[in-house]
Amino acid sequence: MNSNNRQPAALLSLILLTFLATAMAGPAVVVEGQWIREAPPTSTVLAAYMVLKNTSDTPLAITRIDSPDFGNSQIHRTVVEDGIAKMLPVEKLQLSARGSETLEPGGLHLMLFDPLRALRDGDTVILVVHDDTGDSVTVQTPVLRNTEETGHAHHHH
Amino acid sequence: MSTPRTYSTARLILKGVIIAVLATAAGIWSARLVLQRPAVEDELSATRFPVARDVQPFELVDHNNAVFDNAALQQRWSFVFFGYTYCPDVCPTTLSVLNSIAQRLQDVDEDIRFVMVTVDPQRDTPERLAEFVTYFNGDFLGVTGSDEGLQQLTRQLGILYQRVEQEPGSGNYLMDHTAAVFLFDPDGRYHAVFSPPLSAEKIAIDFRKMLQDTQ
Ligand SMILES: [Cu+2]
Repeated sequence: MNSNNRQPAALLSLILLTFLATAMAGPAVVVEGQWIREAPPTSTVLAAYMVLKNTSDTPLAITRIDSPDFGNSQIHRTVVEDGIAKMLPVEKLQLSARGSETLEPGGLHLMLFDPLRALRDGDTVILVVHDDTGDSVTVQTPVLRNTEETGHAHHHH
Repeated sequence: MSTPRTYSTARLILKGVIIAVLATAAGIWSARLVLQRPAVEDELSATRFPVARDVQPFELVDHNNAVFDNAALQQRWSFVFFGYTYCPDVCPTTLSVLNSIAQRLQDVDEDIRFVMVTVDPQRDTPERLAEFVTYFNGDFLGVTGSDEGLQQLTRQLGILYQRVEQEPGSGNYLMDHTAAVFLFDPDGRYHAVFSPPLSAEKIAIDFRKMLQDTQ
């Protein structure tokens, strides 16, 4: 009688533990060094840069990165073909197992259309990175004035 | 006494021979370096024309609503880039490079101007351009105009640009455009072109060399 009663409880704990462990493991994607390049006040298109890392042993893909502060967003890759600069949409950004991709000026970037508020150097914006396993990561992203020719941001101390 | 002496003499001669051989080898080696070096140093990252090319008549308008035509290219060096303000990646990066060139050439006793001509005159009004280019450097000049005026200049420079529609209804579109920077001399002639990837350091060095060559 006693042992029969205990079994469903044990099973329930096991399910709960498994659920907690999965939840605590969190999304496989880690975002580092994220920043948005400050643009002149009337700009309606901005770019965000970051390093996206896959911490899992299985390949995955970033399907979109959006922001509550922008009307629309799209992952792009800038290419120069025959001297002509083009921005090509990236539908899925593949990350190999334990691999990473770098979004940086003149290459991969996140295009952010139609800011819903004025964004100046020092402001912070929320970006949500979604992957094809259904997970998402939310990161605080600073708006920084780009001061170096290489396109890297000036970081505040 | 004599044996050690002979021995040491032989050793000295041997040492001398080895040193001579090494010195010759080193000499050949350094001569090769010296011979190679001028070729490398002479090479510009820019494409320069043996004779600067005349610019056929064109008429545009700058961000102060002043006429920007052949006469505007006279009496100063002009670095000219073709882009658009709704461009958050390549254009800000290039304008930052141009600003870095401006800083590097501050000691040069020449009038040098930096210009961005928009390939998107539909959206880039003089006011919009003014705000965009002066964000990077207060002395930068934005230029826009009619489609015809723009084509008068871009066709002869071989500049290409094309509108790329985004999702219907979004109202957003992108522009593909030539990414090079064009240099015009104080006679208003097309002097050289810098192709991407653009390096402020290389362009500044090239410009100083070209300046020397014209003096
Ligand atoms: Cu883009």
